[in-house]
Amino acid sequence: MIDFIIYSTTMISIWAVLGLSLNLQFGLTGLVNFGQVMPFAVGAYGAAFAATQGLPVWLGVVIGIVLAPLFGVLVILPARRLTQDYWALITLGAGELFRLTMENVPVIAGGIEGASVHRLGDRTLAMILALALLLAVLLIARRIAEGPLGRLLRVLREDETLAATLGRNPVRFQILVTVVSWTMAGAAGVLYAHVTGYVSPSSFMVIETFVIWTAVVLGGPGSNLGVILGTILVELTSVSTRFIAQWTDLPSDLIANLRLASFGLVLVLVFLYRPQGLIPEARKLYRVDDR
Amino acid sequence: MLTIADIRVSFGGFRALSGVSMTAAPGSILGIVGPNGSGKSTLINVVSGIQLPDSGTVRLDDRLVPLGRPDRIAAHGIARSFQVSRLARRLTVLQNMMVSARGNAGERLFDLFLRPAAVAAGEQGILTRAMEILRRLDLAHKANDYAGGLSGGQQKLLSLGMVLMSDPRVLLLDEPAAGVNPVLIEREVAFLKSLRAEGRIILLIEHNMEMIADLCDRVYVLDAGEVIAEGTPEAIRRDEQVMRSYLGQPA
Repeated sequence: MIDFIIYSTTMISIWAVLGLSLNLQFGLTGLVNFGQVMPFAVGAYGAAFAATQGLPVWLGVVIGIVLAPLFGVLVILPARRLTQDYWALITLGAGELFRLTMENVPVIAGGIEGASVHRLGDRTLAMILALALLLAVLLIARRIAEGPLGRLLRVLREDETLAATLGRNPVRFQILVTVVSWTMAGAAGVLYAHVTGYVSPSSFMVIETFVIWTAVVLGGPGSNLGVILGTILVELTSVSTRFIAQWTDLPSDLIANLRLASFGLVLVLVFLYRPQGLIPEARKLYRVDDR
Repeated sequence: MLTIADIRVSFGGFRALSGVSMTAAPGSILGIVGPNGSGKSTLINVVSGIQLPDSGTVRLDDRLVPLGRPDRIAAHGIARSFQVSRLARRLTVLQNMMVSARGNAGERLFDLFLRPAAVAAGEQGILTRAMEILRRLDLAHKANDYAGGLSGGQQKLLSLGMVLMSDPRVLLLDEPAAGVNPVLIEREVAFLKSLRAEGRIILLIEHNMEMIADLCDRVYVLDAGEVIAEGTPEAIRRDEQVMRSYLGQPA
């Protein structure tokens, strides 16, 4: 039981980092990014590349964390003249492009077979690292969300043209946010690789982005605490469906599909009936003398 | 000196502006009047960078204004309001005001994380200035309300306040009095006069002819994308052609 709690806490923390990173882009800035699994994958593959090439672990960490935001900029630059609608398509495509490249170029990290990575043997240490990463990311996300930068990002979300006439270059800030967000997701990917000890293309399907989105939308776009709550609910549902598969006689792949279907249902219901999520974005109040 | 020279804009075959020119000296208010669809808002869109013209130039003190780049034009000290108010509706009135101040160190990652004291001091200064302007616009009691919840007239006043937060040299105001109640219009007029006295340039699109007559040093009449008359408000009122095109009746 204690092993299970440690494992769940580790995974929830890693996914909460992904949720917070997507929240910076979507919840705060309004960027519809359907490829958030990509920086996560880039981070994990940084670790896997280092392992296959016999490089030290720290170098894999650096490769993963540096390459993830770099890829983000590469994805955004061609999109900068397009309207936001295309963002979804471009990021979705980029994520798949990366995964398929990893699948078909075995020299990088084992191709479709995947690659083994040094696994953190001490599971408590893994959990502490995941919690520490989550805490660091939460502090950064809060500082951004609650300060002048977050205010500007929200204006970008509400009205890009307004932000431009106020003297801000929208693309500059979209790139800034993406670099910060994808660095966070890259770090989560590196840690994920060392927690599971194994990296393969099947871990980074489009469906994972969909799970991150469910957590953000359910919890409350624009609200960091909401996103963490959303992640906890979504991940606990994920974990518990595995028990359901054990207790009932239903085949586990059916249960897995039902789980995804239930996430889809949650998305639809939240969009319809509670678009602000479980913990809505708080209104920023100033103490003022209003006379 | 603001110099707008030979601005031409066409949308497909439709010529929205065909060679519009005007000049404004520091400390003056230019009125732009004309029927709906005459190109008034298009002209302001060009000067503020939202609409790239087919040809023509805009200069501020002999420096070319980078047309088509609203963010860089704002840096030249040219600020605008919109006919249909553009606000961040899910932010408060005060947040809208504060984000309109330019050069906030807290928008840079480096300062945000490594110079928190400087960022906090900057925010306090911006907050004080925002509240001063809100008081002048009779919006101080709405400071912590969502901007999207304001009435149309209040949104117009907030837009004017946001323009002022950037301390602009040139104000482009698109119907600032539409939907504003008469008492507040008087206050707005007094406000605009004080801005003129500070040496700012104001381009004012307005249908309220009384306000135009009261405020403007010169008036330009646009019709079908062309300047058909210009002069003092009194001269324009006497001009028969203007009255026909704008008011649809002889003077």
